[in-house]
Amino acid sequence: MKPVLEVRNLVKRFGALVATNDVSFTLHEGESMTLLGPNGAGKTTIFSQIMGELQQSAGSIHLYSEEISRLKPAARIKRQIARTYQVPRPFAELTVLENIRIGHMPNSIWDMLRQRPDLEYERQLAHKVGLAEADYERTPAELSMGDLRKLEMARSMACKPKIMLLDEVFAGLTAAEVSQISELILKMRADGMTFLMVSHDLPALKPLVDTAIAINQGAEIARGSFDQVMANPAVLSSYLGEV
Amino acid sequence: MTQIIIQGMLLSGLYALIAIGFTLIFSVGRVLNLAYGAYLMIGGYVYFYISQQLGLPKGIGLILAAAVGCLAGLLKYRFIAKPLKGNHVAIEIATLILAIVIQSAIILVFGESTKILHSLVPGIVRLEGVTAPWSNILATGLSWVLIIAVFIFVRQSHTGRAMLAVSQDPKGAAICGINGEWINMVTWGISGLLGGVAGVFFASYTQLSPFMWVGPLIVTVAIVIVGGIGSIIGTLIVAHIIGFLEVIVVSYIAPELRGIFTMLLIILFLIFRPRGLFGREELA
Amino acid sequence: MKLIEKKHLVAWGAFLLIMLLMPNFVSNGTLRIFIFANFLAIFAISWDVLSGRTGYISFGHPFLIGIGVYATAIMSKRFGMPVEYSIPLAVLITMLGSVLIFLPALRIKGSYFALVTLAFMELAYQLVQVVRPDLTGGTRGIFGIKTLTRGAENGFYMSMSLMFAVAFSAWLIMRTQLGTALSALGMQEESLEGSGKSTTKLKLAAFMLSAFIAGLGGAFYAHYVGAIAPRTLFDINFLFTIIVAVLLGGSGTIIGPIIGAFFLTFLLEFLRPYLPGAGRYFIYGAIALLLYMYQPKGIYNLLEKLYQRWRGGAA
Ligand SMILES: Nc1ncnc2c1ncn2[C@@H]1O[C@H](COP(=O)(O)OP(=O)(O)OP(=O)(O)O)[C@@H](O)[C@H]1O
Ligand SMILES: [Mg+2]
Repeated sequence: MKPVLEVRNLVKRFGALVATNDVSFTLHEGESMTLLGPNGAGKTTIFSQIMGELQQSAGSIHLYSEEISRLKPAARIKRQIARTYQVPRPFAELTVLENIRIGHMPNSIWDMLRQRPDLEYERQLAHKVGLAEADYERTPAELSMGDLRKLEMARSMACKPKIMLLDEVFAGLTAAEVSQISELILKMRADGMTFLMVSHDLPALKPLVDTAIAINQGAEIARGSFDQVMANPAVLSSYLGEV
Repeated sequence: MTQIIIQGMLLSGLYALIAIGFTLIFSVGRVLNLAYGAYLMIGGYVYFYISQQLGLPKGIGLILAAAVGCLAGLLKYRFIAKPLKGNHVAIEIATLILAIVIQSAIILVFGESTKILHSLVPGIVRLEGVTAPWSNILATGLSWVLIIAVFIFVRQSHTGRAMLAVSQDPKGAAICGINGEWINMVTWGISGLLGGVAGVFFASYTQLSPFMWVGPLIVTVAIVIVGGIGSIIGTLIVAHIIGFLEVIVVSYIAPELRGIFTMLLIILFLIFRPRGLFGREELA
Repeated sequence: MKLIEKKHLVAWGAFLLIMLLMPNFVSNGTLRIFIFANFLAIFAISWDVLSGRTGYISFGHPFLIGIGVYATAIMSKRFGMPVEYSIPLAVLITMLGSVLIFLPALRIKGSYFALVTLAFMELAYQLVQVVRPDLTGGTRGIFGIKTLTRGAENGFYMSMSLMFAVAFSAWLIMRTQLGTALSALGMQEESLEGSGKSTTKLKLAAFMLSAFIAGLGGAFYAHYVGAIAPRTLFDINFLFTIIVAVLLGGSGTIIGPIIGAFFLTFLLEFLRPYLPGAGRYFIYGAIALLLYMYQPKGIYNLLEKLYQRWRGGAA
């Protein structure tokens, strides 16, 4: 399997706080990896650095062997990587389909003007993530938390990524929605999507991932298969220390 | 040189007083109160009406200017800032509209023409060949008294410390049992009061006109932002930087460049140091 | 859902027809009021394209309009340039000038941005009075600028066609994906960036479009009134009128600013016999404030709601 995303010796400092402390990992094509760690461990911060929303203090990020640390988020997304946000941040006054449209539309002003929106594609995508047809013309304010997460998935899928970073995929979902999204992820995996996931719902996560990295206070404390990592005493105590 | 120092101190003291009233609201309420400039106008015209049209003692004019300014602040809080709570853009736009309403009200009552305020106290001081009217010196002195009073109030009094708490963390302050409503009222009241007094001083420094508020408003907001939101000391320092630079430009380069220079300075400051000269805080 | 529906085109057609027939029904005096309403509508659309959509509140729009006004006035009056060249050039210069307020928008947001634009307006006011008064006319401004039309009726047709062209094109643009993206910019800049869109490019597009309209409106305005003065142009009252027109009508739409501009202009005229200038501003400021506080989405939204209720009741 060829490596698609390589993070090397990543460091992020916020003043005195070291939010990412020398983290390295490699994600291979079709692999599904999870970042484990208690609240405040630094998972989201790593996502933001990969996407270019935060600039790392040190270290490098390679996407398909290209160093992307200097690129803006839009340029990275163009290289087929996309993320979802822990707290969904939809466009409040746009409809569900229009929210998806934002992800799907081209990034050139001229093309935005010229191309008509692909309504068929938008509907298919909304259907694929499990949004009800009745919601297509609704605005985010009228959606449940579960539907907002689905919309968040759809919006980032609309950017046509090959690598997806999912932040807290299952937070706020009902049991039925969790299995719905799990199925979706499994299906996308079968289609070749590469994933990096974060979730506090460990049982739901387990069947979806190949490998796991546990971090605490910004630094790696264990890696291996999901079960190996979860059996690691350091990981257990970091989770327990959280309570 | 003495000339520059004296002129600079006078103008900067005035700017500082205006800016302090503004920074209180900006730090506690996190809103740009664009009608703040209107306090200046209100103060100036109240003073003009009481002392020059009615001929009452100047002290009474000054006190009433402060009182009406304070009242304007309270009303503005009650009827604009509170109903629009949290929506910064809406408050900015609403206060801008209000400023225009107040401006037209003043034109309606007093006319468009500029008025000259009689000096607070007569006489001129001469110092090493430099002259300065006593009333400007008195205004600067009073400004400093007020600034120091606000400083002590914020640092020492219970209410003042509660204001600081609200400005740093509104939710946390509410949890600690601080009555945000009351704090906001006090802040808007004090801010109006300071604006009213500053208006009298500013109008006697320049002149009284229904259009006198835009320039000082921009200068004030810039001082507050550059000085670091909510930092009284920072505000004082930047007020002096801008005041002195303005005086230097006027004396050494060309008086008519005064406004241009100040605006350029503000634009550059805001673009290159939007988080303030001392890099204190972020505020969208 | 189709992007451009027949009913929209019918509405635009009806609007155009009514406007074209207007001179047959109203007096020349009323037509002159319409002319000002048309120009105000253009300025309001220009403001809304930038601030109503992207959320970057410009308090310096008179700065942009003023560039267009002064550019064409100076070129045609001082250098004798024909209007066919001076107006397009003025539009171009306005778009270049808008880069000055676009650059800060890359770094600062919200109140800071609003303030910088306000400072630009004040700066322009000071500059035209001091720098090269032989060109700008200093405090007194420029008189005797070549006018394009004579008589109320021609002025009306000119301003109306311009307004209609601007409004319809802006409406078409806002129906495209670009329009959706610009609105998204005002709602969630971060998510837009996180959806692979360059917010810098989108902001630039919004500024350029806004400046194009402002410059065009300003240049034609200069050649309609024939005389300009810095005090009335770089004026907070002017800014206020533009913003209030948008907000009263309904921001984020095209028809809103037009409704607002017409409403405001006619309200001012209606009050004219009863009140002096300041009194009118007082009344309409107060009305604007009340409406803004209690009907922040504007008249258009109010009409829409009434229409829906009426349809709901009828069905
Ligand atoms: N912009 C920022 N400025 C300063 N500190 C930050 C910033 N963003 C995150 N942090 C800090 O960095 C640390 C890591 O935060 P991060 O959000 O990455 O954690 P997380 O693992 O995603 O936690 P959670 O499970 O709560 O989402 C936290 O201590 C957080 O307070
Ligand atoms: Mg997180």
